Amino acid sequence: MFVSIVSYGLAVGAVYALIGITYNVMFSASRVFSFTAGMLGMLGGVLGALFINKMGMNAFVAFLLVLAAGAVLGIVTEILTVRPVLKSIEQHLYVLSTLAFALMIQQVTAIEYNTEPQPFPVLFPIDPNSWLGIVDQKIWLPVLACIVTIVGLELLYRKTLIGRAFLAIAEDSYAARALGLPETRLRMASYAIAGVIGALAGFTGAQMLLAFIGNQAILNFYGFVPVALGGMGSNRGAVIGGIALGLFQQAANFLVGGIFASVAVFAVFIVVLLLRPEGLAGAAAARRV
Amino acid sequence: MTDATSPISTARAPAGWLGRLEGSWSWIALGLVGLLLPLLDDSYFGVIAQRAYIYWILSAGLNLVVGYAGQIAIGWVAMLTLGAYTTAALAAGRVGGVEWHPYLALIAGGAMGAVFGVIVGLPALRLRTFYFAMTTLGFATIVTQVALAWKDVTGGGVGTPGPVFPWPFEPGWGFYYFCFILAALATWITANIGSSRYGRALVAIRDAEVAAEASGIAKPKLLILIFLLAGGLGGIAGGLFSSLQSYITPDAFTFEMSVLFFIGILIGGRGSILGPALGTIILTVLPEFAAPLVQWSTFLYAALLLVIVLVIPGGIADLLDYKNRRPLTQHREILPRPELLSRVLGTKGEANAIRLANIALHFGGVRAIDGLDLEIRSGEVHGLIGPNGSGKTTTLNVISGYYRPNTGTMKLDSADLPFDKPHARAHYRIARTFQTPRLVGAASVLENVMIGGTVRGHGTFAESMLSLPRHHRDEKQLKDAAMQALATVGLESLAAVRADRLQHSELRFMEIARGLMLRPAFLLLDEPAAGLSPEEIRRLGALIKAISREGTGVLLVEHHADLIFDICDRVTVLNLGKTLAAGTPAEIRSHREVVSAYLGA
Amino acid sequence: MPTSAREPLLTINGLAAGYGKIGVLRDIDLAVRTGEVVALLGPNGAGKSTLLKAISGLLPRQGSVRFAGQDMSGAGPGDTVRAGLVHVVEGHRVFTQLSVIDNVMLAGYGLPREERAVQVEEALAFFPDIAAKRHDRAGTLSGGQQQMLAVAQGLVRRPRLLMLDEPSAGLSPVLVDRVLAAVARLREGGTAVLLVEQLIEKALASADRVYALARGSIVLEASTDEDDLPNRLERAYFGQDAHAPLES
Repeated sequence: MFVSIVSYGLAVGAVYALIGITYNVMFSASRVFSFTAGMLGMLGGVLGALFINKMGMNAFVAFLLVLAAGAVLGIVTEILTVRPVLKSIEQHLYVLSTLAFALMIQQVTAIEYNTEPQPFPVLFPIDPNSWLGIVDQKIWLPVLACIVTIVGLELLYRKTLIGRAFLAIAEDSYAARALGLPETRLRMASYAIAGVIGALAGFTGAQMLLAFIGNQAILNFYGFVPVALGGMGSNRGAVIGGIALGLFQQAANFLVGGIFASVAVFAVFIVVLLLRPEGLAGAAAARRV
Repeated sequence: MTDATSPISTARAPAGWLGRLEGSWSWIALGLVGLLLPLLDDSYFGVIAQRAYIYWILSAGLNLVVGYAGQIAIGWVAMLTLGAYTTAALAAGRVGGVEWHPYLALIAGGAMGAVFGVIVGLPALRLRTFYFAMTTLGFATIVTQVALAWKDVTGGGVGTPGPVFPWPFEPGWGFYYFCFILAALATWITANIGSSRYGRALVAIRDAEVAAEASGIAKPKLLILIFLLAGGLGGIAGGLFSSLQSYITPDAFTFEMSVLFFIGILIGGRGSILGPALGTIILTVLPEFAAPLVQWSTFLYAALLLVIVLVIPGGIADLLDYKNRRPLTQHREILPRPELLSRVLGTKGEANAIRLANIALHFGGVRAIDGLDLEIRSGEVHGLIGPNGSGKTTTLNVISGYYRPNTGTMKLDSADLPFDKPHARAHYRIARTFQTPRLVGAASVLENVMIGGTVRGHGTFAESMLSLPRHHRDEKQLKDAAMQALATVGLESLAAVRADRLQHSELRFMEIARGLMLRPAFLLLDEPAAGLSPEEIRRLGALIKAISREGTGVLLVEHHADLIFDICDRVTVLNLGKTLAAGTPAEIRSHREVVSAYLGA
Repeated sequence: MPTSAREPLLTINGLAAGYGKIGVLRDIDLAVRTGEVVALLGPNGAGKSTLLKAISGLLPRQGSVRFAGQDMSGAGPGDTVRAGLVHVVEGHRVFTQLSVIDNVMLAGYGLPREERAVQVEEALAFFPDIAAKRHDRAGTLSGGQQQMLAVAQGLVRRPRLLMLDEPSAGLSPVLVDRVLAAVARLREGGTAVLLVEQLIEKALASADRVYALARGSIVLEASTDEDDLPNRLERAYFGQDAHAPLES
């Protein structure tokens, strides 16, 4: 039982962490939180099920297509819902524009696909009784995805110039612009990367979470909790927060049942935020006057 | 009263009158349709109308939260859920075995909504926009899940029957009129708040928070009142909803519903009552008449929201506001009339001086202010100058309560001025303007100036809500005072114009008018001459001088050396957070070190 | 400096700019010739930084800007940098989370790799102290070192005109001299410099010509070898209205 809690906790926590990273990558590039993180996660699962189950595609090809779809959606998000409102004085409009877009995509999916949770195919034909099958793939897939993403982002940020350009824009977009860095193109690229990460989270987590449009709302919230707790823009905080959230949720589920587990998570979320609005690792808000 | 040279006076009088009437006509028309609908004796229309009334009762309250206060509470359907289940469970006797009378159950539903409205709303005081939106979403999900799980009270997934109201509001047309009356009441109440100083204060918090603070508006108290009211209305709407549906289950309260309320308000336009009402009605009624599109309704609403946000953020209300599209005269002049000041400022108070002693403030390793003594005396204009980074604006921010210094004292005569409490300054009659004008762009110039006098009102929130006499007295006094202040600074002809249509220099004078509403004993001006033409600077100087002659102590932070030397009685020069020199303008002008500091050595 | 019959490297005509509704600059005419150092002086709030931002495209503007024979209408910072006009903004805003070498490399973003490597080394050679700290995080540098790093960033593109916004701000006199020595070396190498400065005497010593900006307009234009410049500048700063003349 304990093993089950820990393994499920790690797996679902890894998905939450990846969605948190999705939020962070978009935030670092634009200083904007987007409601599309959950949408990307949801589509990772739904599109995967659609391609493999309904359209009979090879799992690997489907995987690549799903990631590509994530990238495209990320770019569309930037062009359609973020760029136009960045210029406006009313910054809160981005909350509404990204929400509207995420809702539109969700509704289209609901109508064209299915409103009920659909099964997601087993990706690797591994015999559960063999030694390879000791850990269920629905557990290690998201964890592996999380590790790959973190390592990949580190390599990107530390070893490539474009990665360092992302870091520059995240730190001081004005100075980056003055230096001649192509701010808009870099922002679009960031959103594309965020799209890929979100889709990856959904695809690898779908054996657990199934292909379900309701995942959008679930991932929107539970993917945001790590960001809120870990500090905006901090991927490290998102990972720690995500894993902690996953473990806490599974433990609470086991101890007090599903509903109270949700209430417990929500209560912790609110209490932490009220005590430290900038999160446990974040920096305090800047001067307003 | 209107000046012959005012740019839009000839068009203003009839338009204002017509504008009010035009608003009333819409309500009268809606009211007539509502009253007479039963004559059609079509129960299908009746049900749609009842649903529209119920949604509007909730949205009227939410409108104050979202439209006026600008809080993105997207999970507000939770109030509907709470109210519905509270009313239904109590009326059905599922709590404590006693069957409550439907009216009492309804009131209890409203009370539940009010309490939770405050609970859900409290985080808004501390959290950023997106974070707050997420917490409301989380809350809405929790409520639905609790409804699913708490089978004893809510019936769980199976659901529970809603209450049946007795005569004269029995199901059918009786209940129809009940909903109609309550919707009318909700409209009246929220419209009263919207057009009161509370409504203006909300909008000020939304669009110009620092200016709201400087005018004495306390955000927490006001937001709590609004969440209380909005939650209560939502709860009552929920109770009515449970009766209309006759039977409620948790999946009746979807996230899409929350979005619907939200979109209705935004389509309607923020800061308006009529707009969101029309928006909500349209969104409720539309799916009924476009049957094949029902499946796509949420998609279309979301698409509509996106279009509104990108193209017409002001919503229907903006589209209807044709009088604010009339062109203004091109080359307007600002002609202050300092002779009106004595009426505006009233009697001189007893306050004599603000004294800062040994103030020091560090930000990280930077010493923004490094041991500063400063005295602002009544009836004097005290100039504060210095190179960039010398600490001028920081000093002003310390005086107006935004920063807490690390050491030092600040006194108003013998009383300590509290640090970190910007909204307390209004009560000390300390007013200020800002380096970049802070204004409510969507409100009129007059409303912007009236915001400055918010703390001068005496009526309570409840009195405004119910349109009682003291509220009307307040409004008249505030309006008269604001018009006088505008006349003093030379902007009365632009009183009805949307503030974001004004030129930059006019906005600077408008900020001064807003400051005058406090009848300030001390007026702190942060670079008021920036962006003004030489002639405007001259007039500004004359106005400031006249204000000080009425007894107000003025602190003038400025770059424009000529303005400083022209009108100041005393000047303090800051450099690197310390006083470099202090004295009369003549002394400062010939002070070698000052000149060097300015020019760099 | 012989007057060239050719068009100046940078020509500004009738420039107006501001922030939103706030108009700051009115009808500015200014020119910088190839290889000359021009100082832009003026009291706070006059609009010096605003002018540089308008030229490099960080702020929208009206009026005409011509650089190296090209019309720069609608050009943003990326375009001006590629054209050879580089703006080092005020406040030594370097990326504190990145290393010194990364900071300088980013200034060469978009250049082919070999070119970038060469030009980065050239830029660092101007400031050996900074080059020695190439792997340190920029946040560990002192204010003065960060300023030199910022200037190094500006040099990576081998600009034809380098605009420096108050490079001396917050620096000790020794470091100020170091920065101005770099300006002199640039001039020797044929790079033109437009230098915004608060320190009048130092600026006059480094520059060939000077403009004074006050209250949004050019109030003085002179060559630095003319007489009585400091006094003329003071008067220009404080306005020539009816005020008591400054005691000297």
